[in-house]
Amino acid sequence: MQQPVPERLQVSPFLVLYLIMSMQIGIGVLGYQRIIAKAAGYDAWISVLGAGLSIHIIIWMIYKICAVTNGDIVSANAYVFGKIIGNMISSFFVIYLVIFALAVLRTFIEVIQVWIFPEMSIFWFSAVFLLLSIYIVYGGFRTVTGIAFFGLVLPSYLLLTFGFALKFAEFRNLMPVLDHSAKELLSSAYNMSLTYIGFEIPIFFYPFIKDAPKSQKWAHLGVLLTTIIYTILAIITFSYFSEDQLAGSIWATLEMWKIVSMPFVERFEYIGIANWNLIVLPNICISLWGSSMILKRAFKLKQRKGVIIIALLCLVAITFFDDRAKINFLNDWTGKIGFMVTFIYIPFLFIATMITKKVKKNENK
Amino acid sequence: MKINKFLPLIAACFLLAGCVEKEIIDDVNIETGIGYDLKEKEEFEGTIMVPIFKPDKNIGNFTYSATATSSRDLLQEIQRKSAQPIVTGSLEIAVFGEEMAKNGIIEVIDSFERDPSIGARVFLAVGQENAKDILTGTYGNRGNGIHLSDLIRHNMENKNLPETNLHLFLFDFYQKGNTPYLPILKKVEPEVIEIVGIALFSGDKMVDTVPPDKMFFFKLLTDKFSKGSFKVNIDSKHAAIKDLKSKHKIKLVKRDPYKILIEIEIEGVIREYTGEMLKPATIKKIEKNVEKQVNEEASKLIASFQEQGIDPLGLGHFVKSKTRGFDYNKWKDDYKNLIVQVKSDAVITEVGVVE
Repeated sequence: MQQPVPERLQVSPFLVLYLIMSMQIGIGVLGYQRIIAKAAGYDAWISVLGAGLSIHIIIWMIYKICAVTNGDIVSANAYVFGKIIGNMISSFFVIYLVIFALAVLRTFIEVIQVWIFPEMSIFWFSAVFLLLSIYIVYGGFRTVTGIAFFGLVLPSYLLLTFGFALKFAEFRNLMPVLDHSAKELLSSAYNMSLTYIGFEIPIFFYPFIKDAPKSQKWAHLGVLLTTIIYTILAIITFSYFSEDQLAGSIWATLEMWKIVSMPFVERFEYIGIANWNLIVLPNICISLWGSSMILKRAFKLKQRKGVIIIALLCLVAITFFDDRAKINFLNDWTGKIGFMVTFIYIPFLFIATMITKKVKKNENK
Repeated sequence: MKINKFLPLIAACFLLAGCVEKEIIDDVNIETGIGYDLKEKEEFEGTIMVPIFKPDKNIGNFTYSATATSSRDLLQEIQRKSAQPIVTGSLEIAVFGEEMAKNGIIEVIDSFERDPSIGARVFLAVGQENAKDILTGTYGNRGNGIHLSDLIRHNMENKNLPETNLHLFLFDFYQKGNTPYLPILKKVEPEVIEIVGIALFSGDKMVDTVPPDKMFFFKLLTDKFSKGSFKVNIDSKHAAIKDLKSKHKIKLVKRDPYKILIEIEIEGVIREYTGEMLKPATIKKIEKNVEKQVNEEASKLIASFQEQGIDPLGLGHFVKSKTRGFDYNKWKDDYKNLIVQVKSDAVITEVGVVE
């Protein structure tokens, strides 16, 4: 069991909404349209909706696991598998969060390199970005939550800019609806993994929420809002691009900004991408915070040291991903690992927790 | 103090911020227009137009030309002639010579699509005979790039030119069951450029043109909402109609063989009439004649598209959207046998300030 977190370090339940949404919306949303349209064509928006709704079951499981074990992923693993094996499994989640942070940061740097500064140094940008993230994590969980809030609310105006694409929208592209088989739709939904992952984070900070069980409805609401945003964006994209045109667009979301025309700005991408910094920041901060928290809980490593170790690890690893193919590989695997963690391991842990609970109850009798 | 350890890093943040490429507006040549003409073999001649901002607030024009085999090459060749780097960030228009358009233009357009600094609203046009002629010269006083894009824009918004730009061209090009089209420009006087029709493409090759007097009907069929003006004859007199708003609706009436009904609604005013009095009966008659003329001309256009196997209206894509498991290979034959009926409904709302 875990020591209860003092109330002055906890956050209000409704802030879980911002934490989940800002973690989900990162870099996947910049180009998921092409990936999902590969399998299910322009019916893929149904997959986006379906995958989003299926997440609610996982959220429900996460809250059940946390409530039973009264703690986070480390307590849950220890509860089910005992301390030693449990901690070994938990350490895998450190790697998972590091890979997640790595994928987000590297993809964002690639976007900057392709759209604005081709010569920008990967190393120095990451160093500065990670330094900022370390500084935020040093502020504690409440500061991280604050960044998640601003990282979601401040850039939210960007949603309006996709209205420019509506003038050229051809909704006929979506017809006929359901022209693809269930298998193709499922495969599309699976390909949404990279874009959707991040919703599992309550399992890392559950003890830090005031009155935690109450936050479940906010978690559900957050996921629902993300699902709606992704679905609408997919529909706009599909009506804006013809199918073969989309197949060649790596970042369809950014490419829609090419049509934005305003009297005071010639190319909107420069503003949009600069703003995307704010969207990416909570992704990195939450990952750093979560992974260093696991190190602290499982291996008694001070969080301040843990953050720096993990940031250095990211900094060294990021320089290896130096071309499109490697970045694509990283994103693919982040999506795959994310899928395994959220849709395979969490249900497994859920069942294991329930069984352990029964067994322990009987023993106590 | 702990902060001292961080100071070098913080200093590095500020110092390194200047380490990426800068583009200062006074030190670059801004490319506003580009033209391509086919030379012998695989080569083409490219012309890049840059505005020159003079101290007296006038805008001059300068063009660089070079011969190259690819679009990237071209920029290289031209950079060698230009004292300042050329940037593509505010490209307004790209013109393709007629020979070039007939030979295929997707390779060049692909380089536009790939370049993140080029917007999707760039106008594309075909230059009758020669693209270089169109870019060299002085039109208006706002620079050639702005002049040409204004020319195209106002004709799209209120006149008979259907809407086109880089995005729409690519959309049509990549859409199966759809072919793109572009406006044709011609230098008619040393200082005047005119829109002389619409170039129809099959894939990325220009195959046919729509003459200026048919552009109104073409626009009625391609644009969801359109405006424009045209002349209608009644009993040896004629009236000029300004079309305020019109829209079309496509319906699939029957399969095997496919039959499509296109309904066009036109709402317009009379701008000019050569007869003496405009009585209600005459107006009715004008409406009837408008309808008749639209039906005839639109049907003629569609028949000629079918004959050539091009589909600027996107009828193939339309039928696909109504059919499950659509087969584009079979459609190629079906399109030739497609029956298209055009039904229009014209309403004259105003006749001007005098009867």
